[in-house]
This record gives sequence, structure tokens and C-alpha cells, in this order.
Amino acid sequence: MGKILIVDDTLFMRTLLKNILFSGGHTIVGEAENGEDAIAKYQELKPDLVTMDVVMPKKNGIEALQGIREIDPNAKVVMCTAVGQEQMVKLAVKSGAKGYIVKPFQAPKVLEEVKNVLGA
Amino acid sequence: MSSLPVKIEVQGKWIAAKLALDAEGMKSSDNTLAVQYKSIVDLEAKGSVLSIVIKGQKDPIRIASVAKVLSIVKRQILASCSAYRLSTFFMSPAVRGGVFVKDANWEKGGIAVLVSGIWFFSKDHQICVPMDDVASIEMTKREVQGKNIDVIKIDHIEESDVVTSLVLCPITTLQVLYNFLKESTKGMDMAGNELDPQSAQVAMLVYSGMDTASIENMLNVSQRDVDHIYDVLIKQGLAEVVVTRREVKLTTKGVRYISDATKV
Repeated sequence: MGKILIVDDTLFMRTLLKNILFSGGHTIVGEAENGEDAIAKYQELKPDLVTMDVVMPKKNGIEALQGIREIDPNAKVVMCTAVGQEQMVKLAVKSGAKGYIVKPFQAPKVLEEVKNVLGA
Repeated sequence: MSSLPVKIEVQGKWIAAKLALDAEGMKSSDNTLAVQYKSIVDLEAKGSVLSIVIKGQKDPIRIASVAKVLSIVKRQILASCSAYRLSTFFMSPAVRGGVFVKDANWEKGGIAVLVSGIWFFSKDHQICVPMDDVASIEMTKREVQGKNIDVIKIDHIEESDVVTSLVLCPITTLQVLYNFLKESTKGMDMAGNELDPQSAQVAMLVYSGMDTASIENMLNVSQRDVDHIYDVLIKQGLAEVVVTRREVKLTTKGVRYISDATKV
């Protein structure tokens, strides 16, 4: 089980992810609603894993991922995008993302992916 | 010509036989079965049983065997049966439950659209997506070898997982295939404005696996409201009832039992 930071600009998606991850026994250490906030919260909270939305205000998810990787090259970040934004996968993986989830998602698969990334 | 050990269903009984496959058709050693591939219009695979539907015949021919043998039979049938078929690259599954499948690769093979399902077949795999399990078909783009290329994305249900498969072929045939697949599954089409925003949110939460209590908490709505939305989803054919939960309260006898049970 891990300490997780959830980054998404919509409250609904954050609440959904929080419920899924909490039901899997993880601890939600914080939430952020934009890329800048995500980098600041990562530094402050030092989570085991971050779920990161791609399209967000201020800094987008890829920029936030790169910012977090500058602070911690071993950071475990799972990207989370809407259908139709899958083109970003390659860029995200190149930027150091450890996993990739497309909305809408199913709870058991999300938990499996988070477990895999945490164990990697 | 290969000769394969199978069991063939004859008048409700399974008879062991050798099945010979040649370029035109298949024939059993005991002559209970002789089929030309071109006469086959549908194929279904359930566990270790293959159901083969012949044009003009009501009852399917059923063959049972081990997976390796059935794989050879399926491949031969899919490559030659009477179906809409073309050479493609496919990736199945590419996404499962919203999570990218890490070891997914493009496979070179074919796609055959039969009555009951869409089959992808390659040298090593035959994957069937039953028509009834197709959730959506759309044209989209994927990066393949550094280029953005048009592909067909098929979302389908596999057990309880929502799975995405991708099909890639030249744009001319891709458009024809897309039209054909859309036509084959048009009974599932919806306008997209059938649900109000809150009902759509509930549908999304059900998709994600949330139970009723979680949905009530997340949206801050009453059980009665959620029940009403469930009714809407059921009426639209978007959901079905899987569990009816009962709420009970203890009778006086029940309260007495609990009181007695907790006495030191």
C-alpha cells in the first residue's frame, strides 16, 4: 500500500480516484488541481505515487511530470488522460511516466496498475 | 493435409474422430462430417467447443478438442470461410479497464466479420469479439512508427472488463471496414443526449465499479435519487439489475437476542 497524491483539475475525477484508491487500502496524502500545485505538493508530501491528469491549467500533466522528475528522478507517476488524448502516451513515457490510464477506467484495473507501479 | 484428434457432436453424443483439413474443406475420418470452408457463415468458440454454422443449416456443427487443435481449425476456417475479411494489423487487447496493456503489440493477420462476432486472427492467435459485446466502434489516430495513422478502435466487454482493440490497415479499406462494422452494430447507437448530467455522472461511477453507497456519498444524493437514476439507466437499456439489496431492522425478539448475547 502506498501514499498517493492525486492530481486532476476536476473535483469529480479526484473524488472518484480517491474512492478507488482508498478502497484498495492506499492512503491519499494530498490532492492538487493543476501542475504547479502538483510539483509543490510533491516536494512537501513526498508521496510514493502520483496519479497525474494530462490536461490541466497553469502547468499541464507532462510539464508537471517533468518538474517532479527533476526533484526526484525515481518518482512514480501514473498519467491519467481522457479518451482521445492517448497520443500523449509516448511523450509521457519518454518523460518518465511509469503507467498510463485512460478515462473512463475500472477500479480493479486501476488498483492493479498502481500496485504494479508501486512494486516496480 | 493435417489430421487432428477431435470429438464431433452427433445427435447429442460426442464421437471421437480424426479431422482432416485440406485447402477447400474439412472431413472427419468416420465420414460424420464433411464441410467446405466457403459454406461456413458463422463461428463461435466457447471453452473447448467450436460451433460452426453452415449456410442454410439451422443447427451448428459442434467440435470439441484441446486448445492447440481448435486453434488450427479456427485459423483455417477464418482464413477461408464466407465472411467479410481483409488483411490487417491488430492489437488486442490494447487497453483493459482503462489501463494500457504494457506488452501489447501490433500483430499481422486478418479480420473476419461473421454473423455473431468480429474475429482477429494471426499465425498465433484467434481472438473473437462477439457482436453483442461491442460497446463502440470509432475511427481515431495512433502513433505507429513515428507517424499518426488512422486506426479503428473497438471497445468491447470481456467478462467484466472493458477492453479496447485496435485495427490498422490502409485507409481505403479501413473506411470500408469501419462502415461495415458500424452497420453490423448500429442497434447499439445512441444520440448521446439521453441522460442529464447527474445521471451521466452516476453511469460513469457505475462503470468505474462504485457501489450504490459510494455513489450516494460521492454525489451527496439520497438513496431514493440514486434509485430513480438507476430506473432511468435501466429503462434506456444502459444498465441491468445484478443485485437487489434488502435493508432490515431488528424485531423485539431480535433486540432481545442481541442484548442476551452481549451479557457478560
